[in-house]
Amino acid sequence: MTFQLPLSGSDLLLLAPEMFLTIWLCVVLAVDVTCKHMDHARLAYLSVGGIVATLLMLIGFEYTGVRGALLHDTFVLDGVALFFKIVIVVATALVLLSSIDYVQSFRLFRGEYYVLIMMSALGMMFMASAQDLLSVFVTLEFSTFGFYVLVAYLRDDQKSGEAGLKFFILGVFAAGLLAYGISLVYGETGTLIFSEMTATPGSYGLAIGFIMIFAALGFKIGVVPFHSWIPDTYQGAPTPVTAFLSIAPKGAAVAIILRMFYVALATFKPMWVLLFVTISIVSMTYGNIVAIAQKNIKRLLAYSGIAQIGNVMIGLAAGTKRGSDAMLFYLLTYLFANMGAFAVVIGVSNQIKSDEIEDYNGLNRRSPFLAAAMLLFLLSLAGVPPLAGFIGKLYIFVAAIEQELYLLLIVGLVNIVISMYYYLVVVKKMYINEPTDPTPLSVSAPLQAAIFVGIAGTLLLGLYPDPFIDWAVAATLMFSNVAAPATPVGG
Amino acid sequence: MGEWALLATLFAPFLGVIVLLFVTNHHPLLVRTVAAVSAGMTLLASLYLFLVYDTDQGGFQFITRWVWSEELGIAFHIGVDGIGTPLVFASAILLFAGIFISWHIHDRAKEFYIFLLILAAATIGVFMSLDLFFLYFFYEMSVLPMYVLLGVWGSHTKGYLSMNDPEGRKRRDDVGFLLNFGANSKEYAAMKLTLFLSAGAVCALLGILLIYHFSPVKTFDILVLREVAAYDDTVATIIWLLVFFGFASIAPIWPLHSWSPVGHAAAPAATSMLHAGVLMKLGHFSIIRVAYEILPDATRELMPIAAVLCVFSIIYGGCVAYFARDTKYVIGYSSSSHMGYVFLGMAALDYISLTGAVIYMFAHALATGMLFAMAGWVYDQTHTRDIPSLGGLVTNMPFVTGAFVIACMASVGMPGTVNFIAEVMIIVGSWERYPFQVVVAVLGIVLTMAYLFKMMRGLFYGRLSPDHAQARDMTQWVDRMPLLVMIGCSIFFGIFPMHFYHIVRSTVVPMVDRIHQLAPLVTQYPT
Repeated sequence: MTFQLPLSGSDLLLLAPEMFLTIWLCVVLAVDVTCKHMDHARLAYLSVGGIVATLLMLIGFEYTGVRGALLHDTFVLDGVALFFKIVIVVATALVLLSSIDYVQSFRLFRGEYYVLIMMSALGMMFMASAQDLLSVFVTLEFSTFGFYVLVAYLRDDQKSGEAGLKFFILGVFAAGLLAYGISLVYGETGTLIFSEMTATPGSYGLAIGFIMIFAALGFKIGVVPFHSWIPDTYQGAPTPVTAFLSIAPKGAAVAIILRMFYVALATFKPMWVLLFVTISIVSMTYGNIVAIAQKNIKRLLAYSGIAQIGNVMIGLAAGTKRGSDAMLFYLLTYLFANMGAFAVVIGVSNQIKSDEIEDYNGLNRRSPFLAAAMLLFLLSLAGVPPLAGFIGKLYIFVAAIEQELYLLLIVGLVNIVISMYYYLVVVKKMYINEPTDPTPLSVSAPLQAAIFVGIAGTLLLGLYPDPFIDWAVAATLMFSNVAAPATPVGG
Repeated sequence: MGEWALLATLFAPFLGVIVLLFVTNHHPLLVRTVAAVSAGMTLLASLYLFLVYDTDQGGFQFITRWVWSEELGIAFHIGVDGIGTPLVFASAILLFAGIFISWHIHDRAKEFYIFLLILAAATIGVFMSLDLFFLYFFYEMSVLPMYVLLGVWGSHTKGYLSMNDPEGRKRRDDVGFLLNFGANSKEYAAMKLTLFLSAGAVCALLGILLIYHFSPVKTFDILVLREVAAYDDTVATIIWLLVFFGFASIAPIWPLHSWSPVGHAAAPAATSMLHAGVLMKLGHFSIIRVAYEILPDATRELMPIAAVLCVFSIIYGGCVAYFARDTKYVIGYSSSSHMGYVFLGMAALDYISLTGAVIYMFAHALATGMLFAMAGWVYDQTHTRDIPSLGGLVTNMPFVTGAFVIACMASVGMPGTVNFIAEVMIIVGSWERYPFQVVVAVLGIVLTMAYLFKMMRGLFYGRLSPDHAQARDMTQWVDRMPLLVMIGCSIFFGIFPMHFYHIVRSTVVPMVDRIHQLAPLVTQYPT
C-alpha cells in the first residue's frame, strides 16, 4: 500500500488555525532568541496577538460553518472540536495576559514560557480534533509535554520541582496505561477510529482497554480516583500554569471522552452510565468535603476543581444529547469563573507573595476591585444566581432529571450547599476580617483585562445565556442520533 | 404604563447598583443619595402599581414576557396578582425606610448600599416572578447578600443570647440551638443563615425540577404549568413536601426557625428590617405561588401540616421571646411567632383567612420594620441590646419612645392599625376549620403583649442608667422620616383598608375556589 497524503488547498484551510499558531510560536521563539534585550512583556503581547488571531479564525469558522475531516479522518473539524478549540484558545489568551507580571519574577527563560504555553495550547487544539485512538495518544502526549516543563518552571522553588516530578511520573504512568489500553482495544476491534467501533460486540478485552484509556483521560480531567496529583501539582506550579492546567486540558480531554463514549461505545451505554454516576457522586462529594479543610487558596481551587469536574460528569451520566450540551455549557461557565478566580490569585500573590487564605484577610479594604471580582467568581463556582455557574448547574441538573437520575441529582444539590460553605469562608476572609497589613494592592493593566473578561463572561453567561446554550446545542448535533435515549439506569 | 411601572420597580434598585459601582466611598453623601433615589423610584412605581391594580379583573396584571431560553423552556415572565402587589409595595417601603435608617453607616457605605439594593431588588423579583426558574433565581439571589451584610456590618450577638426565666434559672432555646455550635459571633450567624436558607432553597429547587420533569409541557412557566399540570398522587405529595419545607425554612416555620433569631440579632438594623419584613415572606409567598397554583389538590390534602406546625411556631416563639434578654432577639422570635399566624391563615384555605394572611404579611412587615429600626437606634446610642442593663431612655428619646409604643401597639394588633384587620380576619376565617389553633392564636396575642410591653418597659421606663445618659433622640429628618412613613402606612391602611382588601380578595377568591374544586381555573394566557 502506497501512502498518500490526501491534502488539497481547501483541506488545508481546516488546519489553518493550528498551522498559523505553529508558525506564530516559531516567530515568538525567533524573536526571543534574536532580540536579547527586548522587554519580555512585548513577547507576551506578541503571543496574545497570535492567540487572538487564532481565536478570530476559529470564530470565523464557527460563523461560516466550515467543517470537515482530514488525513484519513484522523483530524476532524466539527462542532464539538470548534467549541473546545475556542474554549482552549480563550483560556490561553487569559493565561498569557495574567502571566505578564508573574513572569517578571523568573530570572531565566522568560520568552520560552510563552512559547511553551502556546505549544501546549496547540497540542490541546489537536486533541479536540482527535477522533481515533492513535491521534488521541499523540496529541495528548504533545500537549502534556509542554506542561511537564511549565509545572516545574520555578527552578529555585522546591514545591515547584516536587509538583513537576509528581506530575511527570503520574503523567507518564497515564501515558503507559493509555498505550496499553489502545493496544487492547485495537486487538479486539481491529480499528482505531471511534466511528468504526460501534458494531463491536462486547468483550472483557474491550472493557479493560477502554477503562485504561479512560483512566488516562481521567488523569487529565482529574476526577476521583485519578485526582491524587492535582492538589500538590496545583499548589507547586506557577499560578498561571495552574490556571491553565485547571481548565484547558480538562476541556480537551472532555472532548475526547465525549467522542469516545458517545460514538465508539454508544451501544454499551447502560454500563458506562453506571460508571459515570459513581464517578460523579464520588468526585463531587470528595472534592467539596476535602476543600473545606484547605488553608491554601490554590489547593482550595484544586479541590473545588475536582468537585466541578464531578458536576460535569453528571452530563455524561445522563448520556443524552442534552447531557452533552449541558457539559459544554458548564465548561464554558467554568472557564470564565475559574480563570477569573486564578487571575485574582495571581494578582494577590504578585504583591504579597503568598497563596495562604489567611493572607486574604481584609482584601476588600486593600483592593475592592480584586475582592469584588473574587466574590463574583467564587459565587459563580458555587452556583449562585445571577452568575454563570448557576445556569450551568441548572442545565446539567435538567439533563440529569430527564434521565431520572434522582440519587445523582440529590447528591449534586447537597454538594451545592457544601461548596457554598468553603467559598463563603474565603468571602469572609476578604470582606469581614480586618487586614493585618492595610497597604492597598494595585492591579496591573493586563491582569485587569483578564479579570474583566472573566467578569464579563460570568455575568453575560448568567444573564443572557441563550446564544451560548444554542451554540452548545448546535455544536453537539452530531450526537443527536448516537446517544439516543436508552432505558434509564441507576439513580 | 403598568408594565413599565412593574419593570421600574424591579430594575430601579439594580440601576442604583450600577451607578454606585462608579461612585467612590469618598463621596458618602452622593452614595446615599444614589441609593435613596433608586429606592424612591421603586417606592413610587410600586405605589402606582398598588393604586392602579384592577380589582374587578383580578388575576395577574402588568405582565411582561420575554423568551429567555427556548431550549430550556424559560421565559422572563413577570407580573403581579393581588398577593404580589401589596408585598412588592411593602418591600419598596422597607427598602426606602432602610436606606434612611442606615444613613449613618460610615464603614464602606457604598458596598453596604450595593448589597442592600441587590437584596431588596431580588426580593421584589420573587414577588413578581411568573416563571419557576426566575422565582428560584431571585430567591437564591436574595439570600447571598445577607451573608455579607450580616458579616461586615452586623454586630456580634455576644453573651446575651442566654436567657433567664423569672426565677433566675438559665434557659435557652433548645430547638433553636439544635445546630448551634456555641458561637455568638456575627460570622457564625451569617454562615448559619446562608447555609440554612441555601439548603432550603436546593430542596425547593429539587421540587421545581420535579415539577418541570413530570409536567406534560417542558416549561418553567407558572401560568402554563398550573393549567397543564397533572401529577399522580405520590409524585404530587413528594413535590409538595419538597416545595413546602424548602420554602417554609425561610418563613421560618418551627422547627426550621433556628437560623432566624440569630440572624436577626447579628444583622444591622436595615438588614433586619428587610429580613424580617419581607425576606421571611418569600417563604409564604413562594408556597402560595408554587404549591397553591400548581398543586391545588396536594395543597388541600397536605396543608393541615402547616396548621399543626403553626401552633408550635406561635407558642414556642412567643415563650422564647418572653425570656429573651436581647432586644433584637425578642423581636426576632416575635417575628417567627407571628409568621405562625400567616401559616394558620394559609392553612385554613378560606377566603377570609387567606386574605387576612396576605394582609398580615404586609402589616407585619411594617410593624416589625419599625421595631427593628428602633432597636437598631437604641443599640447605636447605648451599644448594648441587653434589656436588663437598659432603662429610662424615655427622658432622652421621647420621639423614639413614642414611635416604639406605636410599633408595639401595631404588633399586638391594636384597632386602628392594619395588623388588627389582618388578625381579625385570620381568626374569624380559621375558626370554622381550626378552632383549637384559633384559641392558641388568641393566647398568642396575649403573649405578644406580655413580651413586647415587658421589653418596652425595660428599655424606656424605669431608672436611667448613668452609662446611657449620653443617648440621643432621633432629631434629624432623615432619622424620623422612615419611621413616620411606616407608621403612616400602618395607620392609613388600618383606617382605610378597603382598596387593599379588594386587591387581595380579587386573587384569593378564585384561588380558594379552585383548591376546593368549586370553580375551574381562571385561565390567563400570557399576553
